Amino acid sequence: MDFAQNTLDGLTSGAAYALLAVGFTLIFGTLRRANLAYGACILFGVYIATWVAQRSDAGLATLALVAVAACVLAGAYVERLCFAPHRERRGNQVASGAGIAAMVASFALWMQFEEAATLLLPRHMYAFPALYEGAPLALGPLSLRVEAIVLFAATACLLAVLWLVLQRSRFGVAVRALIDDPLAAGLCGIPVARVFALVFALASAIGGIAGFLVVAAHGQVTPHLGMWATLKGMLAMMIGGLGSLPGAVLGGFLLGLLESHSQWYLGPQSRDLIAYLLLFTLLALRPGGLASWMTRWTSTRSAS
Amino acid sequence: MDEYTIGVLTNIGLFSFIALSAYLLLLAGELSFGQQAFFGIGAYVGGIGTALLGWPLPLAALAAMAAGAAAQTLVGLPTLRLRGLYFAMATLAAAEMIRIVLELIHFQRVVDGALVGPDGTQGFRGIRWIFEHGIEPAAFLALVWSLLACVVLLLAWIERSRLGAVVRMVGEDPELAAVLGIDVGRLKLGVAAVAGALAALGGVLFAHVNTYVEPRNFDIMLGVHSLAYALIGGLGTVFGPLLGVALDIGALESTRLFHGYRMIVFGGVVALILVWRPRGLLDERAVDWLGRRLWRRTP
Repeated sequence: MDFAQNTLDGLTSGAAYALLAVGFTLIFGTLRRANLAYGACILFGVYIATWVAQRSDAGLATLALVAVAACVLAGAYVERLCFAPHRERRGNQVASGAGIAAMVASFALWMQFEEAATLLLPRHMYAFPALYEGAPLALGPLSLRVEAIVLFAATACLLAVLWLVLQRSRFGVAVRALIDDPLAAGLCGIPVARVFALVFALASAIGGIAGFLVVAAHGQVTPHLGMWATLKGMLAMMIGGLGSLPGAVLGGFLLGLLESHSQWYLGPQSRDLIAYLLLFTLLALRPGGLASWMTRWTSTRSAS
Repeated sequence: MDEYTIGVLTNIGLFSFIALSAYLLLLAGELSFGQQAFFGIGAYVGGIGTALLGWPLPLAALAAMAAGAAAQTLVGLPTLRLRGLYFAMATLAAAEMIRIVLELIHFQRVVDGALVGPDGTQGFRGIRWIFEHGIEPAAFLALVWSLLACVVLLLAWIERSRLGAVVRMVGEDPELAAVLGIDVGRLKLGVAAVAGALAALGGVLFAHVNTYVEPRNFDIMLGVHSLAYALIGGLGTVFGPLLGVALDIGALESTRLFHGYRMIVFGGVVALILVWRPRGLLDERAVDWLGRRLWRRTP
């Protein structure tokens, strides 16, 4: 019974990890760059929403909108300052280190967001309006929190919408063309810079929703959210395979399950140890992650 | 010099070691998010050496450097064939594992009536060697900076040698280097071992100046900071990382000019510097230009 309960809890946190990993991998898949400031943008968005919640009696939907809008704005700032100037240009000598420069610059902005957030709300923890006040549902001997159902349903909806957008819309075609070959896509008349910026906004919006759902499910906000989102998102993304959307979803759920079971049997420190051990072993043996076993399904190029 | 200035200068010296270790790996084309672990290993091994086993500091420092080099070689063996974000994430995973292991170590003993030694998340208290031996802060500062000077001079000499050119070449284009008969894997392992030893040396000094360390000191923030120091300082010369550390700790933290807004200022400055110069302030071109100016002036 513990096993079933842990699996349920693991799937719930896995849904949040999957969203975070999808946001990370969208940016990586198109730009071939890691955005270290991703978690910090989410923190910033959620802090703005908390700030609004402290000063007004705005409803959950308004707060979600505020969080997403602030997160997208923060993401646009990161894109302009860290990624637009360091895009790969053919025949440019500087390009060899541009990926590293973009990554370190995004880390620098992480520091900015974190300090800005703590200047805005200096206490160590703030209450956030909860998604649901009642008691958890009882499914026989198992208990299922209503927030978990919401998180799960929201994740499923978002992923379905994202899939449709990428597969069916003109924008999605442009994104997939860019992922395949940025140079050829540009020659075909795809506005590369604009599509990059839009992908960034899309990923930031997903991150904003993920952040909002997580803090609303827990009913509290702490400044650790930024580091948490970055580490868990990157971990799930790398487990799934860099640049692969199905891989990111699978990686998120795998990470959630692994964490909840190892926490139950071995304690919290061993939980993190096992997650990192899995990542290290996977990278050493199979850098492509889970996606390298299912390349036929992936629409995006997996970077194995 | 007042005590505060001595403290700041000591810190600049200490963190220069870990920035140099990140710089060396960057030269070889690898981006590490994990140098903080070897800094931590150095701090713990050195602290155990002097505080628990009663070794003199030089012996403990040598042991720590050996441990740092060995640890980074072990981490590098399965991971150095990875590049870019893959290597960065692998080193991050290794560093976090090492940090959690440090949190799990309980190895305390009574020395002179006080309980010292690593105590899990409670940290490692009582690394008092420099106080027991009556070393003044100014003398310790001199020690840190003379060690740093030795390391920098050695690295500057290596950089001008054939070996330095080979390391840069492997960083620029490993395939080409391999075609020219360079054993890329072994060279990278060698660079990693030196980087691990340097980070560990910084860690020993850090532990002894603070007398207390805890695993939380060695989280990813330290590692990415050292990377940022190396990159904003510049990848053109070994003095670049020192400039990066001096900019952050010396100019921003210690002057208290932007008290409360320091990270906002530092973050913005770093991002803008990298837009302007993606390989840092003292990049290869700047070093070449400076070198030619200086060369012309001296007969």
